[in-house]
This record gives sequence, structure tokens and C-alpha cells, in this order.
Amino acid sequence: MTAELRVDLDALAENLAVIRNRVAPAEHMLVVKDDAYGHCLEEVVARAWAEGVRWFGAFDARTGRAVRGELGSEARVFIWIVATADEARHAVDDLDLDVGVGDPELLEDLATARGRARVHLKIDSGLHRNGVRPEQWPAFVARAAELEQAGAIEVVGIWSHIAEASDDEDDQARAAFDLAWEQAQQAGLRPSLRHLAASAAGFARPEFRYDLVRIGAFAYGIRPAGGPGEAEIGIRPVSTLAARVTRIADGIATIGVGSLDGLPSTLAGRLEVGTPAGPRQLRAIRAEESDVDVWTDAAMGDEVLVFGAGAPASATDAAELIGTIGEEIAVRVSPTVPRELRLRPIR
Amino acid sequence: MDVPTHSRDNADASRGAAGREGRSFLPRSAPAVRIDHSALRANVESLLLRTDGEWSVADLRHEARGHGLLVMRTLLALGVDGFLVDEAALDGLAEQFPEAALSAEGQPTLDPAEVFGLPGSAGIPVMRLTGSVLTVKDLRAGEGVSYGFTHRAPADTRIALVTGGYAQGIVRALGDRIAVRLGDAHHPVVGRVAMDVCVVDLGGADAVRGDEVVFFGGDPDDPSLAEWVAHTGLTAEELVTGVGLRVRRDHVR
Repeated sequence: MTAELRVDLDALAENLAVIRNRVAPAEHMLVVKDDAYGHCLEEVVARAWAEGVRWFGAFDARTGRAVRGELGSEARVFIWIVATADEARHAVDDLDLDVGVGDPELLEDLATARGRARVHLKIDSGLHRNGVRPEQWPAFVARAAELEQAGAIEVVGIWSHIAEASDDEDDQARAAFDLAWEQAQQAGLRPSLRHLAASAAGFARPEFRYDLVRIGAFAYGIRPAGGPGEAEIGIRPVSTLAARVTRIADGIATIGVGSLDGLPSTLAGRLEVGTPAGPRQLRAIRAEESDVDVWTDAAMGDEVLVFGAGAPASATDAAELIGTIGEEIAVRVSPTVPRELRLRPIR
Repeated sequence: MDVPTHSRDNADASRGAAGREGRSFLPRSAPAVRIDHSALRANVESLLLRTDGEWSVADLRHEARGHGLLVMRTLLALGVDGFLVDEAALDGLAEQFPEAALSAEGQPTLDPAEVFGLPGSAGIPVMRLTGSVLTVKDLRAGEGVSYGFTHRAPADTRIALVTGGYAQGIVRALGDRIAVRLGDAHHPVVGRVAMDVCVVDLGGADAVRGDEVVFFGGDPDDPSLAEWVAHTGLTAEELVTGVGLRVRRDHVR
């Protein structure tokens, strides 16, 4: 195996600046779940903090702990998946995390923490995953107001996720969100934060930005499948999957990256990779290695860029070839592939 | 990179079959795999019988196809002679298992598909992937589920939000394609699999937070990994590796 995933933290910083300007005056919450989409959580959050990011979306207490450990007490760390009451108390009392709450049971769990839990109540605005359904929302916010009065919790935000199935349906979701916000006010709650949009809507539709925009994909330079190109959005890929030539025979250069490194075997015969002589077809993907059409003067040790920055295909370009999205290609790169963090020379 | 002592993710925790806490399942915010060493032993004993006395080499690259390097202890006890391992893991393993013949080069003699009981082989599945129910709620006729609304409820039903998504190797293409096991029944995964969660249609069944959900496994009523192969076009090896490298592994002796 000769593969490595190169992560360019300067490219990350440039994307963060683009995001900051685009969503202002709303604030950017950088989503860093799943090892910062496979980009190395510790390095990503440290750089993002240095670039001025103050909110981090960490999914669960385990990732929240990693962010807290890296950045200390000042960062605001938001998680939204909690599996047990113990985990809920751990998130509040040991880690001082902000917790997204999408069901009444978790709200009661959080109220049992020793400390006062900072919660963001989640309305199900139509995605039907997490979140309280609109008909149950008034009772939910009323109970949250009781718990806040009693000093058990502090409701700091209202949030939701949208489906991005169509603009029309997203507009309906936004109307449901606005109504939920009003009903929370009527219940006596005074949260200061509203957040609804992720990357795509956060960029394209100002009215979806509110106070915080939760963005992961665009920060890592991953554009939406079937959507605008990276250049049009103003972002660029942060990572590159690279491998070296280990064998040359019969018109084929074999490279040391395979499906067990997280390169989906279904990309064989579809993906063009970057060789020193330009793009070449990836012919076969086996468990431990892959075959590329040979080029003139190909030599052992030559570097091939499989996808990402500098390669013919970005993660999303590769994803589109097999009917998926760039995020899946990014997070599929195996944790056993070494990450090499790159900084360009200081200008 | 791979750390042979498992310190990277604290992933390999040995537990009794029923767990120390007296319950067989511990809900968590992320899915987990159970690595069944009795199935592993049966598979490898059968392979060794057929190659009676020949030098045997097992392929344990990529943390033993995501099964964890603790499987090496079981294979050593069965008399497997040599091990093909990732170069980066070589030094650490040599220290931990001084009696083992280790190499980062060469070919295995034991077919990994049969060692780990992958579909199409004669072996029994060694890996079982489970998630847990996070929340249960109503879904009304006509309402869509998850990104892009690829699924719309044909009738009123109940749905469960379940841990596990494509970042844990539950391939995104499996949404609207596979069923999972909850108790004794199978229920479909509806809508797109998200990065860390998916949605299961409960139909008339009941479920509560913390219930175990089986994505695939080797118990008689478990869904089979063969379904994943059929629906994704990916190989069984890359599917189990993709899962096992990313989730907690509980080893059952």
C-alpha cells in the first residue's frame, strides 16, 4: 500500500474565508463529524479556530470530547445525537457541549444533568429524521419552558434540517421552522440562535441563513453532486488521494491503492486519474492495488493522483460516476490510509 | 494509520457473550460490530484440515479486513503459521507476538473470504453489525423521508431513527434497498442513508430508544451481507473492511 491522503490546511483556510464572507452576518458552524469528513479532526479544528471559527458541529459526545480536548473551554461545540441518558449527562457535565434535542425523552434526560444544559430544540420541518413533529411542538416547547424556569436547562437555539428535494419543499420547511420559532416565543422561551441550512442552501439562499449555518462539505471543498462546480461556488478541494506506481507490465501501471483503502471498486473503468503524463483511465481496482493505463516513460514510484485537488476528478466528480455524493467518497478513504498534512510555503 | 495495539480508537474490547453488564446490547451513538471468534475458529479449522500440514498464511492487512488484529491471537492458537500484515503494523505486532511469522509482502494461503465467512465462501460470518434506535415517531401517508425525499410513506406508519450511516460504511446506495432486523422481524431502511444515521419503517411494530438493530450478521435470522453486495456492486471484502475500520469492535470468544 502506497496510498496517502494529503490534506491542504491552507485550502481549508481559504474555503473557511469564502464561507465566512458568504454567510455573514450569520456565523459559520464548522461540521467536523467523522474525523472532519476524513480530513483529520485535530488538525482541522485547530486551524479553523486560528481562522476565527468559533462553532463546531460534532455529531456526538465522542467527537465533541475530541474537539473540546483540542480547543479547550472557549469553543462552542454542538452535538445532536445522544443514545442514552448517561451520554446526555456526560455531554453536559463533563464536556460542556451544546446539545440538539429532537425528542421529549432526551429533553428530560438533559434536565437530570447536574449542570444547566444548553439545548437547541429541533423541529421536524419535513425531513422526518430527528426532530419533534409540528403537532407535538407546542407541548414540547411548553415543557422546555418549564424546565428552563426550574433552572434545569437553558434553551439557546431552535434548529432543523432541510431535505433539499426542491426549492418549493424547502420553502415549506422554512415556513414550518418560522412557525416553530414563534411558538417557542409564545411558550416563554427566548433563544438567541436559529439554524436551518447546511452547505448548499446556506450558499444559495440567503433567507435560509438565520444566525448560524452548519457547513461541513464546502469547507472541505466538496461541491454538491449534480450542482454547481467548485469554481462557481468559490471553493476548492482540500484533500487528494495519491498513490505510487509499484509495477509496470503489459501496458498497465499498477498503483498501491485498492478497494480496501476505501477506493470503491465500482469506479474501475469509469474514473480518470492524474499521472505525470496527464489523465489516464483507471482500469481495475483490486483489494490492495489498482491498474492504470500506462504512459510514456512511466516509472516505478511515479505518483498518481486518484481524486481530489490536482487530480482530474474531484471527490464529487468521482461520486457522480457511481451515483453517489462527494461526502461518501471522502469519508470512505480508510482510516488506515496515512494522512499527510500539507502547508504551502508562507507567502 | 493502523496502530496494532488498538490504542487508536480503543475499538477492541473483549467481552463475554452476554456482556459484563448482564445485557447483551449496549446502545451507543454509533454502530458497533461483534467479532465472533467461535465462527472464526470453525472457518479456520476447516481450512487447515483441507490443507493438512502445509505452511499456512493468513491475510490480516487492513486490520484483518476490519475485524481487528485481536483475531491474530485466535489464529495463532489454531496453529496458523504466518501472517501478512500492513507494513505500518509490522513492528508493533512483532513486539506483541514475538512467536509469529510476520511479513508485509507475499500471498496468503488461507482465503480471506472463507476465514471471515464472507458471502459466496464456505465460511460462517464472523462480523455482525448492529446499530441502535435513537427515536421513534409517526410518519403520515405522503410524507417524505431523508434527503431528496426518495421515499414517501404509502400509509400512516411509525419510523425509527437508527445509528449508522455511510460514514460507518453503511453504503448510501442501500437506502430503500435493504431491511434490518429488529427483534424477530425485518424492517426496510427507507429514504437515503445519511452520513451517520438512517431511518427504518417499523410498520405496525413497536420499538423504543436503545433497541438493537441488526444490519447484517451470521445468526439465522440476521440479514445477510450478500444483500449489500447485490445492491452496491461492491465486494464483500471492501464492505466489511469499510465497516470494521470505522466502528467499535466487540470481540466474543
